[in-house]
Amino acid sequence: MAKDQATAAMETSTVEKQPETREAETPSVTRTKRMMVAIDESDSSFYALQWVIDHFSTLLMTTEAESGMLTVVHVQSPFHHFAAFPAGPGGATVYASSSMIESVKKAQQETSAALLSRALQMCRAKQIRTETLVLEGDAKDMICQAVEQMHVDLLVVGSRGLGKIRRAFLGSVSDYCAHHANCPILIVKPPKGVD
Amino acid sequence: MATGEEKPVMVVGVDESEQSTYALEWTLDRFFAPYAPNFPFKLFIVHAKPNAVSAVGLAGPGTAEVVPYVDADLKHTAARVVDKAKALCQSKSVHGTVIEVFEGDARNILCEVVDKHHASLLVVGSHGYGAIKRAVLGSVSDYCAHHAHCSVMIVKKPKIKV
Repeated sequence: MAKDQATAAMETSTVEKQPETREAETPSVTRTKRMMVAIDESDSSFYALQWVIDHFSTLLMTTEAESGMLTVVHVQSPFHHFAAFPAGPGGATVYASSSMIESVKKAQQETSAALLSRALQMCRAKQIRTETLVLEGDAKDMICQAVEQMHVDLLVVGSRGLGKIRRAFLGSVSDYCAHHANCPILIVKPPKGVD
Repeated sequence: MATGEEKPVMVVGVDESEQSTYALEWTLDRFFAPYAPNFPFKLFIVHAKPNAVSAVGLAGPGTAEVVPYVDADLKHTAARVVDKAKALCQSKSVHGTVIEVFEGDARNILCEVVDKHHASLLVVGSHGYGAIKRAVLGSVSDYCAHHAHCSVMIVKKPKIKV
């Protein structure tokens, strides 16, 4: 295969340690204050959370004095209770009754709680400083808004979502956030072979 | 010679733009500088020097004369990029970084380097030149986000909200 021809570096240099200048002045250090991970029911988002825990634990551990905070956010899709349901056999449209709205809301809350507690367990196992957040609305908009309002330093998303289009390399929410979020974004890819 | 535990590899792609420098500095500040000398990642900084012939294109007669000048200019740019990156690393006391220059298209080079070093993370800046500046991702960062075989971090220079 002719693909290997480009991998010979034209020039390689290594940054050597500077032995001189004992200035005793610590260069100003910017710590990561807040990282946000967006999760939903997809495996890809939980893989992203685990990836962050594995690779960035030094920045986020509670044992570090100045560690940052990991915010795990789940966006619930709104239940449009005002939308008419398909007409029944008699032609009468059925609107969601309040008890139906209640039960759907309850189911959504339970799903969110289950997802977030799973996420919290993963984080606590590695002593990561964590907080959880539940938002309601359109996932991509809510995530971008939260990033701005909470001054997030880094947004982390999985690469594949709940959509069935396997050919797409990037899920629609991740893609939107990559283009529109106002902060740096990390897209975590599943390991090779899991496709 | 075994070094004991293997550090995960991070590759940062740089070109001569401000956004690239910002991305490298951002990365060094948050993931390397606070942890000296025990950096959590092994860092490779990669610059893709465009191929002179492809940069000039097949413009017609006279192209052959221009190519050496373009090539020399590209080499100077590459040298500047390497020097800037080296200076930045040293100013943050981040040593042990390897800076590599490859010739070719940035998109392919970055994806190949990721495979070559078995990188865990690729970091790129994003120019986002476009009519709607807020909503555009540069073509290289977009390509890498879709095609690189590892996680990709896109560092955008924050825009002043109008």
